[in-house]
Amino acid sequence: MDRWADPPLLVLASLAGEPKHGYAIARDVAETMGVKLSAGTLYAVISRLEARGLIEPLEAADRRRPYRITSAGAAELDRQAARMSVVASLARSRLRGQPGWSGA
Amino acid sequence: MTRALARAALALYPPAWRARYGDEVLAFVDDSGGGLGAIASIALQAPPMWICPPVHLHDADARMRASISTVLAAWSFLTGLALSFVMFTQQQGFAPPDHPVVGWSYVVFDVTLAASVLVTLTGSLPLWLTMLRQAGRERRRRDLACLLLPAVVPAAYLGAGLATLSLVHHPEASGPWWFIGFTIAGFAAAAVSAGGPILAMIRMRPHGRAVRLAVRTSGAAAASITAAALASGIAATGLCLWSPGFPAYGDGPALGGYLLALIAAAAVASVSAARGRLYASRRRSSR
Repeated sequence: MDRWADPPLLVLASLAGEPKHGYAIARDVAETMGVKLSAGTLYAVISRLEARGLIEPLEAADRRRPYRITSAGAAELDRQAARMSVVASLARSRLRGQPGWSGA
Repeated sequence: MTRALARAALALYPPAWRARYGDEVLAFVDDSGGGLGAIASIALQAPPMWICPPVHLHDADARMRASISTVLAAWSFLTGLALSFVMFTQQQGFAPPDHPVVGWSYVVFDVTLAASVLVTLTGSLPLWLTMLRQAGRERRRRDLACLLLPAVVPAAYLGAGLATLSLVHHPEASGPWWFIGFTIAGFAAAAVSAGGPILAMIRMRPHGRAVRLAVRTSGAAAASITAAALASGIAATGLCLWSPGFPAYGDGPALGGYLLALIAAAAVASVSAARGRLYASRRRSSR
C-alpha cells in the first residue's frame, strides 16, 4: 500500500459513489485511486469506520455485505477533502516558486 | 490452502470481531484470490483489534464489567507478588550499600503500592456499596456473601496467621514450609477476595456511574501497581546481581519466573484497564 495513503479516507471516497462490499471497495480504490488495499487493512478500516458511525452495513447478499456512507461519514469526507484541497493548493503554489521546478 | 490459512489468521481475532466480519474477509480472500500477502495482512491487523476493539461490537456495560473483573484479578495477583517481594527483601532489612538503585526502588515500590491500594479502595467502594445495597434490597444472599468476601477473607487470613505465629514458637526452625504455606494461603485468600465481587458482578450486572468510576480508577490502579511491579523487578534484579554474599538472591530461574509473572500480570491489567476506559469514554460521548 502507498505509505502516503489514508485508507479510511479512500474507503469513504469509494463509498461516496454507491454502496459496495469489501472486494468492490478494494477494486474501486485500486482502479480509481491507484492504491491497493489488503484484506486485513480494508476490514480493519471498515470495522473502525462502522464503530464511528461513518459507514453502515446493508443486508448481506451471500457472504458479501455491502456498506454505505452515512451522513456523518459524508460530512467527515467533505471536511477531509477540503483540508486536502487546501494542502494541495498550498503545495502546488509553493512548488511553482521553487527554482528549477518543472512539475505539473 | 489459502482459505485454511485465512481461517487460521482469523482465529487470531477477538471472537466478536470474527463473528461479525469473518465470513466477509473469507469472501474477500476468495474473490481476490489472495496469496500469502493477504493472509499476512489479516494476521497483522489482529493485535490492534484485541488492544483497541471496535466498540460497536460489544455491550459497553458488559465490557466495562469484564474490564473491572480482569483488572481486579490481575491487581490482586500483583499485590500478592508485591507482598511476597516485601517479605523476601525489605523485611530482611537488606539493600546493597554501594547500589542506591535498590534502596530507591524500595521507596518507589512503597509509594506506588500504597497509591494503588488507595486508588483501588476509593474507586471500587461506590460500586461495592451500590451492589451491597442492591443485594440486600433484593435478598440475594449468595451475592451478599460474595460481596463480603473481600472484607472477611483478608481479616480471617491475618487472624489465622497471627494466631498460628502465637502458637508456634520459632517457625523458622521447621524450614521454609511455614513460609511457603503462608504464601500459598495468601494467594488463595487474594483469589477468593477478588473472585467474590467478580462472581457477584457477573450475576448482578451493575451499570451506571459507579461502574464508570470503577473503570476510570482501574486505569490509575493498574498504572500504579505496574509501577510498583517495575520497581520490585528492578530491586530483585539488583539484589540478584549485586548480592553475591546472599545466595538466596542469586537464584536466576526464580528471578526469571518472578519477572515473567510480573510482566504478564501488569500487561493484562494495563490492557484491560485501557479497554475499559475506552468503553467508558465512548459511552459518555454517545450520551
